[in-house]
Amino acid sequence: MYPFWEVPFWTSGIFIALIASFHILPSHLATGAFWFNVFIERKALNENRPGLLNFIRRYTLMILVFCFVYGSLTGVGIWFAATVASPRSISALIHNYVWGWATEWVFFILEIVAIYIYYYTLDKVSPKTHMRIGWIYAWSAWISMVIITGILAFMLSSDSWIRTGGFFDGFFNSTYWPQLFARTALMLGIAGLYAIISASGMQNEKDRNEVIRLASLWGMAGMVLGGIFSAWFLYKMPESAKSMSLSGGLPYLKNMLYAAVVCYGLVFFYMLIAGFLRPHLAGKTLGILMLVVLFLGIGAGEGFREGVRRPYIISQFMYGNQIIAADVPAKAIKSEKELFKDGFLAHIYFVPDSLRTITPENEKAVGHVIARYQCGNCHTFDAGGRMRALPALFTKLGMTSKDDIAAWMDAMEGYAYMPPFLGSDEEKQAVAAFLASKMSK
Amino acid sequence: MELSTYLNAMRDASGVPFYPVVFQFFLVLTFALHIMFVNFLLGGVAVSIWARIKATPNSLRLSKALARAATINASLAMVLGVAPLLFVQVIYDPFWYTANSMSAYWAMAFLLILAVAFTASYVFYLSGRDKAPGASGWAVLALLALLSAGAVIHALSVEQLLPQMWKSWLISGQEVDASGKSLYAFEWHRFLHFMAPSIAMIGVYLMLYAWFFQGRKDYDKTYLQETASLGVNLALYATAAQIIIGLWWLFSVPMEFAFYKNPFFLIGAGIGTGFFLFLLSARANPIKNAPITALIAFLTIFFMSYAREALRMAYTGKAGYSIFDYKLSLDWGSTVLFLGTFVMGLIVMAYPILVAVQVAKNGKESNNEGLGKLATALPVVWFLVVAGLGIIISLKNGTLF
Repeated sequence: MYPFWEVPFWTSGIFIALIASFHILPSHLATGAFWFNVFIERKALNENRPGLLNFIRRYTLMILVFCFVYGSLTGVGIWFAATVASPRSISALIHNYVWGWATEWVFFILEIVAIYIYYYTLDKVSPKTHMRIGWIYAWSAWISMVIITGILAFMLSSDSWIRTGGFFDGFFNSTYWPQLFARTALMLGIAGLYAIISASGMQNEKDRNEVIRLASLWGMAGMVLGGIFSAWFLYKMPESAKSMSLSGGLPYLKNMLYAAVVCYGLVFFYMLIAGFLRPHLAGKTLGILMLVVLFLGIGAGEGFREGVRRPYIISQFMYGNQIIAADVPAKAIKSEKELFKDGFLAHIYFVPDSLRTITPENEKAVGHVIARYQCGNCHTFDAGGRMRALPALFTKLGMTSKDDIAAWMDAMEGYAYMPPFLGSDEEKQAVAAFLASKMSK
Repeated sequence: MELSTYLNAMRDASGVPFYPVVFQFFLVLTFALHIMFVNFLLGGVAVSIWARIKATPNSLRLSKALARAATINASLAMVLGVAPLLFVQVIYDPFWYTANSMSAYWAMAFLLILAVAFTASYVFYLSGRDKAPGASGWAVLALLALLSAGAVIHALSVEQLLPQMWKSWLISGQEVDASGKSLYAFEWHRFLHFMAPSIAMIGVYLMLYAWFFQGRKDYDKTYLQETASLGVNLALYATAAQIIIGLWWLFSVPMEFAFYKNPFFLIGAGIGTGFFLFLLSARANPIKNAPITALIAFLTIFFMSYAREALRMAYTGKAGYSIFDYKLSLDWGSTVLFLGTFVMGLIVMAYPILVAVQVAKNGKESNNEGLGKLATALPVVWFLVVAGLGIIISLKNGTLF
C-alpha cells in the first residue's frame, strides 16, 4: 500500500471533488462551444454580416482563457488529486487505459493548436480556411469527450471486461452510449449559456439579440435532449446502482438527482425567458448567476454518478478503499480479499517496526494505521469531521464501545454499499479500539 | 518488508499493455517537447521583464511579443506535459505515487501556483497598451510563481529517486506521517540544470523569431538584428553556465553508477558541447544560423532527457526495480488506436500550422486546398471508424440496448 494522505475533517477525496466539479464547466465549454461558433461564422459569411464576427472574437477569447488555462490546469489537477488521494485506483485506470488517454492527448494538442490559430487568423485568412480550422477544433474537442466518457463509464459499469480484460470491452460498456449522448447534449446546453453571456456585451443590438436567441435555442435543445439521454442513462445503470439510488437505498443520492434536475430546469427557463423570448433581458450578471446554478447542477449530477458506484471505485474490480475485489483471469489479476483476510498489516510498507506486532499498548496506534487504509478514503475519524465522520455515524447507530464497533465491522460483510473489513481478528480489534477511542473525544 | 519487495508489489496488477521500452521512448520524447516549452515560457517571461524595464521602443516591442508568446507557451507546455505525466505513471508507478502521496499538499499547491503564474502571464499581456505589455509586476509575479512551481515538481522528482530514504522521512517513533505537508528532498545542481536552459532556449527562440520575420516589411531590420544578437548571446552564456552546472551535478552522482561512462550521457554531453561550440561561430550571423541552432538545441534537450532517464534507471535499479520486468498484458487494439491517431494527428496539425506560418511570414496564405480537405476530413473519419467499432462491440457484448 502507498503512503496514506489523511486530510482532517474532509478526507482527501474533497480535493478530487472540488477540482473535478470545477473542471466540468471549462471542459464541456471547450468541447461544445465551437459547434456554435462555426455555426455563427457560417451565418455571418452566408448572410454577409461581418458584425456577427465580433461575437466570434469575444467568444473565442473567453474559451481560450477559461478553457485553456483553467480548464487544462484543472484537467491535469484531477490526475494529481487522484494520484495523492487514491493512487491505486488511478494506477489501475492508467494501466488499462493508457493508450486511450494518450489518444485523447493527441486531440488535446490538436485543440490547442487549432484554437490559437483560429483566434489569431480571424480576418487574416480566407473564410473557407478559417472555417476549416474551426471544424478541426470542434471535432477534436468533441472527440476528446468521446474518449474520456469511455473511461468514466468504465468506472461505473465494467461489464465483460472483468472476464476478458479487453480494452474495448470495458470502454464500450453498458453506460457508455447514454453517457456520451447525454454529455454531448449537455455540452451544447452549457455552450449556449456561455454564448448568451458573451453575446450580451455586443454593441449592435440586432446582432446581439439574434445571437442570444440562437444561443438560447441551442442551449434549450441541449438541455431537453440531455434530459432524455440522462433518463436512458438511469435506465442503463447497473441494478445495484438503481437500488441504491432510484429505489431509495441511499436517499441522499435521489436528492442529488432532484437537485440536478431543478438546477438544469432553472437554466432552461432562463434561456427560454431571458434568452429566446426577451433577449434584451440577458445580461452578464444574471448570466453568471445562472452559470453558478449550472455549476451546482453539474456538481449534483456528477456527485450522483460517483455515488452510485459504491462500494467500488472501479465497478466490480476495486473497492473505494483501493483493494482489488475480483479476479480478472485474462490479466492474471487475483482478488486481494483472500490475501488480506489473514493479515493486512504485513502488506503495508510504511509501518514502524514497533507496530508490526499488536500489543495492548500499541493497539490503537496500529488500529489507526489500518483504519486509514480500510476506511480513510471515504470517512474521517475526527469527531467534528464533515465527510462521513465515523464518530458521528457510530453515535447515531448507538455503537460507542470497542465491542460494538468490532461487531458492526463483522456485519459489514452483508452491507451492499460498503467494502468488507479485510484483516485478521486481531487487526479488527485494533481498528475497533482506535475508533472507540475517537468516540470519547 | 524489503524496499524491493514493496516496489515490486506496488507495480500495478494489470501490467502494461505494451512493451515498456516503447512507453519509455514516448516518455522521453514528450518530456523533451514539454520541457522545451517550459523553457520558452520561463525564459520568455524573464527576458520580457528585462525588456519592459529597459523601455526603449525596440525592447518594448520585444517585451510585448514575448508576453504574447508566454500565454501560448503556457498552454503548450501544459498540454505537452500531460503525456510524460501519463507515461511515467505507467512504468514508474511505485515511485511516482509514493513520492506524491508523501508530499500531497505540495502536489496540490503545484497546481495553485501554476494557476497564479498563468493568470499573471495573461494579465501582463492583456493589460498592455499598443506598444507595450502591462505592468512588469505581473510578469515578476508570473516568474516567481513559475520558479516556485519548478521547485516543487523538482523536489517531488528527487524524492522519487531516493526510495532508500522514504521510511526515514515518514516514520518517526510510533508515528507515520500522513499529513502530506513536507517536501523531503532538493538538489540545487539538478534544479539549476533544469532552469538554466530557459535562458539558453529563449535565446534560440529569439534567433528563430528574427529569422522568421526577416522577410516582413513591418519588422525593422535593426530591431531584428538586435533581437538575434541578444538571442545568440543569451544562448551562448547560458549554455556555458549549463556545462558548469552539469559538471557540478555529474560529480554529485554516486560513483557506483559510473554515469560518466554511460553512452546516453556521453551522447547528450557531446551534443551539448557541440551546441556551445556552434554558438561561438553562430554569433557572426545569428539570423542565418537560427534554424540549425534550433535543431541542435532540440537534439541537445532530447538526448539530455535520455541521459536523465538513464540516470533514473540507475537509481531505481539500485533499489531493485527495473521497468523491463513489468508484467506484459499485450493489447494490440488500443496500441494501434494510439499509434494510428498519433500519425493522423501530425497530418491534421500540419494544416493549421502551415496556414499560420504562411500568414505570419508572407501576410497571406498559399494554396493548401488538398491538405485542408484532408485535415478536416480525418477527424470525422476517425470518429466514424471508432464509433462503428464501438457499435459492433456493444452489439456483440449486448451492452447497447
